[in-house]
Amino acid sequence: MVASLYSVDDEQKTIWVFLDQVDGELERVSLEILSKGRQLADEAGWSLNGLLLGHQISDQVQRAIAYGADEIWIAEHPLLEHFTVDAYTHVVEKALVKGRPSVFLCGATPNGRDLAGRLAVRLRTGLNADCTDLRLDPQSGLLTSEVTGFGGGVIALLESPHHRPQMSTVRPGVFPLGDEDPNRVGLTHVMEIEIVEGMIPTKLIERVVGEGVDLTQTPVLVCGGRGIEGKFDMLQELADLMHGDVGATRPPVDEGHIERERQVGQTGVVCRPKIAFACGISGAFHFVVGIQDADFVVAINSDPNAPIFEYADICIVDDALQFIPALIEDIQKERTTSND
Amino acid sequence: METVDYLVLDDEIWEELLALTGGAAAPCFQCGVCTASCPWGLVRGETFSVRKLIRKAQLGVLDGQEELWLCTTCSQCEPNCPRGVPIVEVIQALRYLMWKRRATLAGLPSLLWSVYWNNNPWFQPPSQRMQWAVTLDLPAFDPDQHEILLYIGCTASYDRRAQSLAHSLIQIFRAFQIPFGVLGEDEPCCGETVLRLGHLPYFTEIAEAGAKIFRDRGVRKLVAVSPHCYDVFLNHYPEVNETFEPLHYTEYLASVVDWDDSQFQESFDRKVTFHDPCFLGRRNQRYEAPRVVLENIPGLTLVEMENFGPDSLCCGGGGGRMWMETAPDERFSDLRVQEAASTGASVIATACPYCITCLEDSIKSLDIKGLEVLDIAEIAAKALPR
Repeated sequence: MVASLYSVDDEQKTIWVFLDQVDGELERVSLEILSKGRQLADEAGWSLNGLLLGHQISDQVQRAIAYGADEIWIAEHPLLEHFTVDAYTHVVEKALVKGRPSVFLCGATPNGRDLAGRLAVRLRTGLNADCTDLRLDPQSGLLTSEVTGFGGGVIALLESPHHRPQMSTVRPGVFPLGDEDPNRVGLTHVMEIEIVEGMIPTKLIERVVGEGVDLTQTPVLVCGGRGIEGKFDMLQELADLMHGDVGATRPPVDEGHIERERQVGQTGVVCRPKIAFACGISGAFHFVVGIQDADFVVAINSDPNAPIFEYADICIVDDALQFIPALIEDIQKERTTSND
Repeated sequence: METVDYLVLDDEIWEELLALTGGAAAPCFQCGVCTASCPWGLVRGETFSVRKLIRKAQLGVLDGQEELWLCTTCSQCEPNCPRGVPIVEVIQALRYLMWKRRATLAGLPSLLWSVYWNNNPWFQPPSQRMQWAVTLDLPAFDPDQHEILLYIGCTASYDRRAQSLAHSLIQIFRAFQIPFGVLGEDEPCCGETVLRLGHLPYFTEIAEAGAKIFRDRGVRKLVAVSPHCYDVFLNHYPEVNETFEPLHYTEYLASVVDWDDSQFQESFDRKVTFHDPCFLGRRNQRYEAPRVVLENIPGLTLVEMENFGPDSLCCGGGGGRMWMETAPDERFSDLRVQEAASTGASVIATACPYCITCLEDSIKSLDIKGLEVLDIAEIAAKALPR
């Protein structure tokens, strides 16, 4: 096997995290990785660094430090304002070769995946994609990445003993966000970069934020079927309370109550939320395949024999149209009381 | 400026297609009967032009063929073709060219990966394949003891609705004391979806591996629950052994049951119409066996729909369409259940798990009262002595 650009002997005992930003705002997954990285770094006695690229982005530095970074390496340039794989790879590669971290982590976002794949090839190292857990052995300094496969049926534990950096992309939502400490102090290291337009074959003509829906990433999915009689506003309200999103089975989509992008199941999207609510859904197989990877399923249906209950962790036999407004009211009440 | 439509002829594509189909498209003289007989014409004003697809295959043109994925492989067109072009085979070959160019529809590659990793196209864990039968204590197939291998298939193993077919069939086999065994978690996916979606080399690989399993296990007679599995075993698998005989379960029952003195004693007093699954009927001419079983159920009245036998309308679920979305006003099954309702029958009998899913969906979405879909196995099981 080809040797990596820098070897185990040359590594610095640090964990680096790529700080993914969109429109000048750090992505949640980057903060999640910082929270986890802080824990790993403390156990091993290492330092935790963040790598931040963008344009006029220095206001995000303190935020990353507050979530646990010891040091932020920052590169600012108008050409780095929006992610392009060419420019970002160029800058991150230079930074990694200079800093030689033992571990480099990215969020498994579309940008993070794009970047990490290229970097791994350039650095001649391995890449563990879409990891769901990370462990760092304080003695050996070896990173173990957990990757789930085959519909969650198998877990692979991967190590990269001979190549550096040890690279993983981390699935959003798997690590809890730590507490933000605004008084934490860290260092900032401004990188000198040379970057000209000619180096970037990608031309950004216009950035359009679509109305597109991506249910695959939502942590909370509130799904409605025929039984909610098109009352998706009610489901949206419940979803908003839990920072989630709304999905549907085929019949309400067919009937025009909700857009086709929100159809969950065999011919729609397959989701992996932490929690899925199935409201007024009977549980046909072609729907169930869309939520089978959910960590936890709550089903609400007035028919106690509905097949959906066989797939649910909590079964509520009740009319969803009665139950959900009551649930919304309860959550709101709970929130008001706890805020007092 | 005037825009000119033109086609680019590509010798390489032409040669690839020629090799894939053995020149099967060549005899076509472009009469267009295929387009006229295609059921897409029933649901779309502008029909899907099968003729054009074949013409493009003759010329070696491959352009924006989203319509290529519409074909349900129902074979309505083939019997009408005056030149005997195996149209579905040509379409599958065209689909394969799209695979080679990585230009298939979104979602289809992950379907193939599911077959690869999970041994089923339903994204279900392989370890759960026998979960439906945990309480049944089914015997593992042993060629010395069992005349037949009962091949359950992925859909009847995992789809909760289709599991009822398998349960019914087990009840029937036990009532008739038919010696059968199953392969359990070792049962291989037949690969039919892969073939219909056109990934021909991968299907060949699946078929060879599957045939080897049957050979090694000493299978001589295989009875399949789904006509889709049955079709590939019968027509697309390499030789398993000299006497290997795949049968659809309706065919098997029709041939072994002594109809003058059968176990089907309980009366099923319903008016039933039979929906011929494409892969039992039109593609394999098994029109009679399912009707023999139905007609011998006491109390059952069998009526035919306007289109039956060779003219039976496809449910829309073949050719990989089970994994693609069909617009609400373009579902063949909507027309089919209306046709069934107009016979006055209260039951649509069929013998295929895909047909059941599509037809039941249409009954629900059109809100047709007093009509349900049952598999022949489910009806027959109801006629067993309680």
